[in-house]
Amino acid sequence: MSFNLIIDALKNPNGFFASSPLSLLCAAFAAMFFVFAVIYSLKHMKGRTGLWRYYIYLLATFIATLGILFSTTFVLLLVLWGFLGLMLYLLISFGNNEGTPESARKSLVIIGGTDVLLLLGIVLIWRIVSGDTGLSGFLHLKFGNLAIPLTGRGQIIAYLCLASAAFAKAGAMPFHTWLPDTARDAPVPVTAYLPASLDKLLGIYFLARITLDVFVMTPLMNTVLMALGSLTIMAAVMMALVQHDLKRLLGYHAVSQVGYMVLGIGTGNPVGIAGALFHMFNNTIYKSSLFLAGGEVERRTGTSDLSKLGGLVKAMPLVFAAFLIASLSISGIPPFNGFASKWMLYQGIILSAGSGGLWVLWLVAAMLGSALTLASFMKLIHTVFLGQPSEISQKVIEKKEKSGFSTLLPLTVLSLLCIGLGVFAWKIPFADYFSPEVKGQVDFPGIWQSGLATMMLISGLVIGFLIYLVGTLKKARIVEPFVGGETLEKNPDMRVSGVDFYKTIMELGLLKGIYRWAEKKFFDLYVVAGKFVAGFGIIFSFMHNGILSRYFLWFIAGLVVLCIVLI
Amino acid sequence: MTFVYLLVFGFAATAVLGLITSWIDRKVTARVQYRVGPPFLQPFIDIVKLLGKETLIPAGASKGTFLIAPVIGISGVIAVATLLWVNQFFSEGFMGDWIVTIYLLAIPSLSIILGGFASRNPLASLGASREMKLVIAYELPFILAALVPVINAHSIRLSVIIDSQAGGVFAGSLSGILALIVAILCVQAKLALVPFDIPEAETEIVGGALIEYSGPGLAIFRLMKNMLFFTLPFFLIILFFGGLRLNGINILWTVLEYVGIVAIITVIRNTNPRVRIDQAVRFFWGPMTLIAIVAVVLALKGL
Repeated sequence: MSFNLIIDALKNPNGFFASSPLSLLCAAFAAMFFVFAVIYSLKHMKGRTGLWRYYIYLLATFIATLGILFSTTFVLLLVLWGFLGLMLYLLISFGNNEGTPESARKSLVIIGGTDVLLLLGIVLIWRIVSGDTGLSGFLHLKFGNLAIPLTGRGQIIAYLCLASAAFAKAGAMPFHTWLPDTARDAPVPVTAYLPASLDKLLGIYFLARITLDVFVMTPLMNTVLMALGSLTIMAAVMMALVQHDLKRLLGYHAVSQVGYMVLGIGTGNPVGIAGALFHMFNNTIYKSSLFLAGGEVERRTGTSDLSKLGGLVKAMPLVFAAFLIASLSISGIPPFNGFASKWMLYQGIILSAGSGGLWVLWLVAAMLGSALTLASFMKLIHTVFLGQPSEISQKVIEKKEKSGFSTLLPLTVLSLLCIGLGVFAWKIPFADYFSPEVKGQVDFPGIWQSGLATMMLISGLVIGFLIYLVGTLKKARIVEPFVGGETLEKNPDMRVSGVDFYKTIMELGLLKGIYRWAEKKFFDLYVVAGKFVAGFGIIFSFMHNGILSRYFLWFIAGLVVLCIVLI
Repeated sequence: MTFVYLLVFGFAATAVLGLITSWIDRKVTARVQYRVGPPFLQPFIDIVKLLGKETLIPAGASKGTFLIAPVIGISGVIAVATLLWVNQFFSEGFMGDWIVTIYLLAIPSLSIILGGFASRNPLASLGASREMKLVIAYELPFILAALVPVINAHSIRLSVIIDSQAGGVFAGSLSGILALIVAILCVQAKLALVPFDIPEAETEIVGGALIEYSGPGLAIFRLMKNMLFFTLPFFLIILFFGGLRLNGINILWTVLEYVGIVAIITVIRNTNPRVRIDQAVRFFWGPMTLIAIVAVVLALKGL
């Protein structure tokens, strides 16, 4: 009997699963990242205990992701969503940093907490849509095509509940704080697999679906989304500028990039939403490339502390090339893919100009955010790959180990995707996949002929090389760098690490105070909520001190209150 | 056809005009300092002479990155210049818009930074990091100031921005003139000229990011900077003066506008001492941003 039930479910009779072009595309990306995570882990995770469990968790995560992408009912989605949070917790625990258990717990609390909000939101939607239809109505509550107007208080709360689940999964503010810690403490393939790619796909996919299919947005709610998006971009990138740890820095960028997607969805017009979705895919590509390249650095040097790295390009030129391409993509340098989607997003913001002059604010936040992103990646490139080599780097360079196939294959494919999706931009597959989702024609007010521009840039490169050939390149001579007549090797103090490149900015007027608060974790919802709960604990421990006279006091007080209320 | 544009306008015309601009700059500087100044062909001779000098590569540096950095920079400038020239003369739009221009203009700075980082020289590292800080400093007011024409023209297409100034240039309005002042100061920093020559600062970090460059590499960087010296004022003319107008008496106006912008930049560079990097960041994020915000608000109000 139960066997038949499973067969029926697989045949999909009641429509538990259905696919849309967007979810198919997300699924294809998820499959790619699953394969890469497994291949990369073969080398990176070698020698750790309990690896069979690790691979099972990876597979289970992948299957649950597919389930969420294709599910047509809210309840199924909720169950799988919660399951994914648990899988993330288990996978983070494979890290071997000091802070790993705490980070795993933090991510479980934040994601699990927002799962509760998700449940609350679903219940509210059920009450709004179908009234009191009993449990079976709740179980079959359809995900999509509801078109609930955001008019009443209940509707708005329901939307905010669902959106906060999406925010926590994707890592947008104010539910972002688990992400940088996880990036620091989890194994690199896990970070590249979950927070950097699958969680982004799921969170933004879910946000897009509830914004487009489940609710009908109001200008006010759109403005709220855009404000949150801009805040996420700016705050996270400012934090990233001053980080000292390679993986944590990348983690802050994983937060900052979500801001662009939330901002794009908040624009509420087809161009902006298509830009956000395109940015979501692009982000998964370059962000996992960055994490995987960073992971290779960590594996070879044994540290991710930026002050101990430097000059590693000699040891791993190909990893550097992949890292550079991904850095240029994430900073939106044309003609890489990050630029293509940012360009769409900006037009979406400009098209949303109907709502007063606020669009200038969002546009400037997004554009300045990408300049700051470039700054923070230039710092990384200097401190990790270029610049003067540190002691650890010297040893790694002398060892002459080669980066293996398991590292280079994912990096090569991802780098090619960064270039390919940038050069062919929007044209190749994505136009057909998005147009049914974004509810409208995607017409760009601006111009970006990416293929032509790439040809221009390449011809510019050719002209540059020709100038070199006219010159004396063939007779190039290698000399010691000139440092005022001193020798670099004899003066290790002269090495510029680059970790503190942006300290001058950190110490500017108003920013100084904000950075100090951020260091004290005033903006970390987890810590603030923790203090709040601990505050309750103090009250309760004051009330329950085990002394009979105090309990008797409470008893009397309660009786008095009861008397007053009843009489 | 596209490649004819690229070679003729993007590279040749821009390079020649850039070298001429650099000559104007040097001549004016010399006159300010009671010197005679260089002959007309001197900037060109400098480049040719550098091409004949030896290529030196610092030991232990990333050779590939070190050599390719100048080439990336010049290709970025050529792309921007081609984009601006063609959008100037063909109104159907070509290659990119306002957003694309702003982003392509980041490539020259990026190339200087990469080249400096790849030099394996602490002084170059310092210089390049200053260049990066300067970029994030001026980018905020520059975006705001460049937004004013976009708000006025209701379009991000450069050809539309040019066309909508046929009746009256944006620099004639209050918002336009404020934005133009901010944009010229940002261009000063983009060109790394005094008082914002902090990344090169010969007297303290010996040329900064360019310290290890010699021969053809340095020649390409020099050419790139000279081309930028033409391209950036050209961009400002498109944004605020309706582009180059090459008919009748307007030719004179166009030349005056261009020489005027270059003269302002040159005078600023000859009458100011170099500031520290934190002062530069404060200057751009403080007063410059405030003025730019005022300009944007005025533009939104239609003034």
